[in-house]
Formats: sequence, C-alpha cells, structure tokens
Amino acid sequence: MSGQAPEHILWIDSADPQEALALTGAKMGRLAEMSRDGLSIPLAFAITIDGFREHVGSAGLDEVIDAHLAEVDPDHSESVEKAATAIRSAFRDTPMAPELAEEIEAAYDELSDRCSDLNVPVAVRSSATGEDSADASFAGIFDTYLGISGAQATIEAVRDCWASLFTTRAVDYRLKRGISHHDMPMAVGVVELVHARASGVAFSVHPVTGKADRIVIEANWGWGEAVVQGLVTPDHVEVGKADRRILKHTVSSKDVVSAFDFAAGVVVEVPMPGRLRERACLNEEQIAAIADAVLLIEERYGYPVDVEWVVSRHRREGEPIAIVQSRPVTTAVQEAAPAAYDPMALAQKYIFAGGR
Amino acid sequence: MSTIISLDEFITDEWYPGFKPAFEHAPYYVEPFRTFNKADEERFWFLDFHWPRGLTPLGLIWNEDGYNWGTQYAAENLPLPPGRGLTNRIGGIHLYGSPIDVQSPYEIGERAQRMGAYLPNFLQNFDSIWAERRDEVERGWQHFVALDTASMSLPELSMMLKEARAFHKRAFEIHFEIMYPLLVNYLGFYGMCAEMGLDVSQIGKFLQGYDTKIMETDRELWKLTRAAKQAGLADVFARTEPQDLVATLDGMGGSAAAWMTQFRDFLQVYGYRTEGSCDVALPSWIEDPTPALGTIKSFIAKEEEHDFEKALAGAIEERETAIDAARSQLTAEEQTAFDAGVASCQAANFPWWQDDHNYYIDLKVSLPLRWAARAIAERTGADQADDGLFLFWPELTAVADGEKSLDSYKSLIEARHQYFDHWHSRRASMPKVLGTVPEAVTDPVLIEIFGLNQHFLNAIQAAGTDGDVKTLTGVPASKGKARGKARVFNNADNLHTLETGEILVCESTSPNWTPAFAKIAACVCDGGGMLSHAAIVGREYGVPTVTAVGLATVVIEDGDEVEVDGDTGTVTVYKSS
Repeated sequence: MSGQAPEHILWIDSADPQEALALTGAKMGRLAEMSRDGLSIPLAFAITIDGFREHVGSAGLDEVIDAHLAEVDPDHSESVEKAATAIRSAFRDTPMAPELAEEIEAAYDELSDRCSDLNVPVAVRSSATGEDSADASFAGIFDTYLGISGAQATIEAVRDCWASLFTTRAVDYRLKRGISHHDMPMAVGVVELVHARASGVAFSVHPVTGKADRIVIEANWGWGEAVVQGLVTPDHVEVGKADRRILKHTVSSKDVVSAFDFAAGVVVEVPMPGRLRERACLNEEQIAAIADAVLLIEERYGYPVDVEWVVSRHRREGEPIAIVQSRPVTTAVQEAAPAAYDPMALAQKYIFAGGR
Repeated sequence: MSTIISLDEFITDEWYPGFKPAFEHAPYYVEPFRTFNKADEERFWFLDFHWPRGLTPLGLIWNEDGYNWGTQYAAENLPLPPGRGLTNRIGGIHLYGSPIDVQSPYEIGERAQRMGAYLPNFLQNFDSIWAERRDEVERGWQHFVALDTASMSLPELSMMLKEARAFHKRAFEIHFEIMYPLLVNYLGFYGMCAEMGLDVSQIGKFLQGYDTKIMETDRELWKLTRAAKQAGLADVFARTEPQDLVATLDGMGGSAAAWMTQFRDFLQVYGYRTEGSCDVALPSWIEDPTPALGTIKSFIAKEEEHDFEKALAGAIEERETAIDAARSQLTAEEQTAFDAGVASCQAANFPWWQDDHNYYIDLKVSLPLRWAARAIAERTGADQADDGLFLFWPELTAVADGEKSLDSYKSLIEARHQYFDHWHSRRASMPKVLGTVPEAVTDPVLIEIFGLNQHFLNAIQAAGTDGDVKTLTGVPASKGKARGKARVFNNADNLHTLETGEILVCESTSPNWTPAFAKIAACVCDGGGMLSHAAIVGREYGVPTVTAVGLATVVIEDGDEVEVDGDTGTVTVYKSS
C-alpha cells in the first residue's frame, strides 16, 4: 500500500485477511478470514483505522483528547468519568470531514445495492485494534448498533462507535494498564443485518468446564443481543465433536427477544411472544449446521473459539449458517476427558478429597 | 456452628451390671471398643441401625471383632485411603458408631497409591476372589454345622466356642476386605458420573437387576406359599398365629405333613439365617421358624402373588433405559470411560454385594458362637440356654474351662436381663446421633453404608422445632407413589404381622426385612440413601421408597395415614388422631 493514499474503506469479502486485520481490527479482520475460508458471512465493509486517524487528526480531536486525559487522576473514578464524558461529547460535536462522509455514504449505497435493498439495515460494530487480545479484553466495552438504516444514520453510528473508544470503562482500563489510545485506533464495521429467525453464540469448548470434546450452543429467537448481553435464559445445546451427536438440548423459557423496531430503525429488546417462549428455536438440522461452522472455524484457527451465529429467515435447509463474529475463547481448556476408567484416581479426585 | 448432643447419660465404667471391661483383653487394630467418656463428645456418633434390638453381653464380641477389628483390619491393610475403619461405643446396649479418619493428606495420598495398585487386579478377578472367600467361610461353616453339641464334652465345647469366635472374626475381615474395594470402585464411578454432569440419583439404577441369594430365598418362600395353597392349607395359615404354626401343621398329618417336609428341606438350605445382622442373641430359622412361617402366612393372605420374573424384568428394563439415557448425554470420548465404568461396577457390583453377602456372612456367622454358648450354659446348669449370652467373653470362657461355675453368675445374669429389657424398650427414644454433629458428612462410608447424608443431618438438626410436622422429605430411593396406613417398626421381631398394603416405617431395613417388600405399599426409613438395603430392594420389588427422612419413626405413629412419593422424596403424614 506504500505510495498510495491510505484507504478509508475496505470491503471484507474481497480484502486480504492480513491487511484486514491490520486495518480494520480483530473483529472485522476475522470476518475477512472466515469469508476467505468459505464460511457464510454477511456482506460488509469497514472504515479503516486510517479513516479514524484522519477524522481525529484533521478535526482537532487529538488535541482535545490529549488535553482531557492530561488532567485525569487515574485513582479517582470521578476524574476518569469526567474526562471520558468530555471526550465523547467532543466526538459528537465534531462533524465528519465531508470527503470521508461521502466515502462512507457511497460504500453504504453500494452495500444496499449488493443486498438488493434500498436502505439496507446494517449492524455498525466497533472493531478495536492494537493488542492481540484487544477484542477479548474489551469485549462488550465498545458499542455495536444493530438495525441502522440509511447513510446518514450509519455515519452517526460510526461516530458513536469511535466515541465508544472513550467510554469511562475503556479509558479506565487503558489507564490501569498503561495503554495509550493512540496504540488502539478504532475501526468500524458496517455489516449487512441478517434477518434473524434465531441467533446466539456457540463455543467450541465448554465455556464453564473447559471440556473440549463438545460444542456448546446458546440460542434465542430473533437477534443475538439478548443472549450476548445475558438478558435472556437461552436454549442450551451441547453437541459431541467426535460424532456430532446432540448430547443435551434444554429448551428454556425465553422471556426477552431482540427484535427489529421498524419505526425506530433499531433492534430492541421486547417481551417474548407467548407462543415462542417455550418453543425450541433450533432444530437438529440447524444445530448440525452451526456445529459444522464452529468446527471449521476452530480447525482453521487452531484454537478454541466462540462465535456469534444467525439463522436467517431466508435460510433453506442444507445452507450454511451465517457467522457474524468469532474470537478466541478465553476459557482455559481442560485436559481431555478420561478415556480410560480408573476408579481409584476418580475416587481420590472426586470423593476422598471431600468433593461431594 | 456444629450441634453438640451430650452423651453424659451414657458415660459409664460398666457395660452391663457386674462387668468392668478390661479394654486390653481383646487385641485391637487402631482403636479399641470401649465405653463412652467425656472426650468422645468431640466426635460424631450415630446410632447404628443394624442392631435395633441392642446387644447382649456376649453379643458385644461383634463390637470388638466385627465392627472394630474387621473394619480397621481391612481399612488399614488394603488400605482405604480416607479412613482407618470404624470404632464404636455402647449407649446402654445400643451401638453408636464413628469413623476413624486419616487426617494427613500425605498419608491419604500414599494410601491411595497402595489401593490404586491393588484395585485393578481385585476388580478384574472379583468373581473368583469373592468365590474364594465364600468358600473359605463355607468351609468354616461346614465344620460347625457338622458338630453335634449335645454329644460334646465341656472341653470340646470350650474349644468350639473359641473356634467359633475365630471364625466369626475372620468372616468380618473378609467382609470388609471385599466391601471397601467395591465401595472405592462405586465411588470412583460416582465421581466420574457427577463430573460428566449425569444425574447421580440414577447411578443405583445402572447397577440394579442382578439376582442375589437373598432374593433367591424370597422366591423359595413364594414357592412354599404356592405349595401350601395347593395342599389346601390356606385356611390353617389364616386362623393360626405364626408361632403356633409348627405345632398345628405337625399335628395335622396328611398334606400338612408333606408340606412340612418340604418346608424343612427349605430350611436346611436357606434356614441358617437370623432375623438380623451379626447378633448371637438371634435364633436361626431352623431354631425358630416363626419368621419364615409368618412370612408365608402373610403371602398366603395376599391376593396377588408377587411376580418375581416381572419385577426383575422391570428392574432390568429400568436399568437399561437409565444407562441409555445417560449415555446419550455423553460425548463419544466420555462414553468410552462411562461404558468401562458401568462394566466394572456391574461386574464388581457394590450395591449387589451389599445384599448378596448377607446370606453368607451377616445373617449366619454368629450362629456357631450362639450354639456353643448355649450348649455350655445348658451343660453347666443354666436355667435357660440364653443365659450363656448374658456372660461376657472372659466369664463364659472361665465357665467353659471349668474355672468358674455358671451358678456364681446367676444373680448377675438376672440383673443383666433386666438391664437389657430396660434399654431394649428405650430404643425408639435413643438419640439418633451423639457428640459433635458436623454441618456436613463427607465420609463416603457413612454416606453410602449408613445413609448419613445431608437429608438425614438436616432432619436431625431441625428436630424438636415443631411437633406438627406434616410433610417430611428424604432421598427418593425408589419411584412411585402410594398411600396407606403406617406401621412403625423399631426392629424386625414382629415384621411378619405387617398387613398387605401397609406402609413400613422404620429406622432402616436389613436383608431379613426383604420379604416384607412383597406386601407393603411403600417404605419410609430414617436413614439410608440411594444404595441402602431398602432402596435396593424397593427398586427390585417396585415399592415406592423414601430414605434418609431422619425422624420418620418419631413423627409417624402406627395407624397414621401416610402418602409416600418415591419420585420426589416426599412423605406426607395425615395424623390419625
């Protein structure tokens, strides 16, 4: 890329994964990897870190940020909060440079065209860069906006994502670890919003016990936000990796659904309609398709992963499941289940040690 | 804070009138059997359900040689990693047990290494090892059965008495040598199932549906029942009290005589068993066939015959269904380990052995001691043969060896009979536990063998808060629901008076209680767990059973209407008054 003007927009389906990782952060970079690996990924482009840098640089935000951070006393949470709030309002008050806004608008329109839609609803997702585990460490700290529709709304959401680099939690986290925000510029992904029939998360290792012989799936009707944010007790499925057999399928009473509010143009959490509450939101075929995708991702990465998946309303049996996010799992993987039966060792471990 | 239940009332220097125990007179392995002292209050003691009648002076040989020596010998030699066996004390005439823990983690680890080296061979060859031990007990048994005490001299009887004690002691070394490794195997499997996220309350089912000697005896009793009906004896049984049946039937001749021949043949095979575990005070069925005849009498009164084939088939089907359901939740890797565990535990089957071994050991091996003691008493001029059972070992051997006359003990024996009767009648109100009651019991032996699980402890600790308890809870040990009239039994003495459809309420059951399960609608026990005798037999017979209820025998009274839910472990009491 040397010699050329920095790119502000990167299309995920045609990007080189390494370049995507460097320019658009872990979240979008992994989408590019998965796209290359043949997984079913929604159409997406990203505003690169160069776009972010240009915005904060040219609009004078850098100076504002540095000035506020210089006054922070890291030991006083009030002081951290005050600086973070001031920086975020500076982001909101600073308009985007017209050239960048035009680029985003053009990319958004192209995305709409490619999706055969007019103002295609999108998910606008923060995609942090910098340290390797930035994505995991900052999980849930940066903003994601689901169901944004229209170029202007998208541009607003992009600015909000940028600003979320300076939430109180994020600022506090960096201060405590001595990380400069300059080292983690914020890319933003604009991703076609898959029309979700059901969504959720899946782990290629049990997230609690660390057992690596199974895939664990948690599912809810609609979009995955209610599951990700822990607002609902989702259906719980466990699938054995060796033979893809369903080991457990617990259907929960699901009280909340993330649904698309057409009037507001966003995905919101609403009470689950009674007829869906007790119904299993996945069938065996869908579970198998999710397991296929999770195993493929784990195999390509070579380490356990958790993924966010969506069963599209338009998906037909046999088609792949849409993957909207994946990342290395943070659970410590347990040693393999004992394949042999050793009663003394088992009794010693579980009973005689007072474990019952 | 742990609860402390005072044992002041039971602190004494004497066991019975006129006998101060010299603790050194019998060798001990880790800890001797002795009377309670104040320091014992720091330990946890539980009233052992195996001896609901209490023990006579000679019966205390069991406490020394079986309870203490047998458990400690096996636990030290195998060894059992977390414990050195059991010790026990006497409250009046009632046995309170307590585990001897190994404290040092290093020692537990070393003991686990040794057990781990021993266990694979034991499990692989369990059938032949158990057969060998059974043969050993059987050889000893044949020796004593062949003796005719009536024609033996006093020195010969003295020799027999000492041989009988050695035989009894050795039988309990074998008992615990076999029991502990089986228990370790079971607990290892239990730990694995729990780790795999399986419902551990199902584990008992994985191991059920295997025939035992005790069940075989029950089938024979049903055959005799059928034969009695065919011989037209149903009316005789109906109108005759169990204790009068022998005389009545013998006096009838004809088909009754033929039936009695059949019955006596049965006794020769199955009749050398007592109505309770390890107690010289208990006669065998040969000596007193009232329990067997009483059982047959109540079987005859039952409209429907217990279908053993059907019950066994049901138990097997339930087993296979439970195993399949568990396997379906496991990954392929886990299934490999689970299958190996199931196979190992079915082949070296702890719950099965817990029932089966009673036929060979617990219900039998006290009999030679009893025969010798009674013969010596009779030979030395006792008023009644049972007087021999009211002497302590040093006293009885002195009499047998001609050093003392039985007569010199006459007044003591009389006092001891009264002492026994006094404490015997107090059984129902004996504290279930003494000393320092822990918040939780972790010792697997206490949990699995004695049923001292959390349910039991909770019930004990909640005791005395209200007299108005209507709903009790315990461990759901055998599924199904039933409602009926409660019959509370403190021991098995009058068990044959149970009527069909009644609900058995007791401290706990032993193999001699098994025939009752063909009659009762449900069973409720103070103690026990998923693997106690009542739980196993309840499942085999399809009788709803709830164990570890804690104070069922205190709260429920004869005649109360009781509803037992074996699926939830709930017992609802509708007081009759």
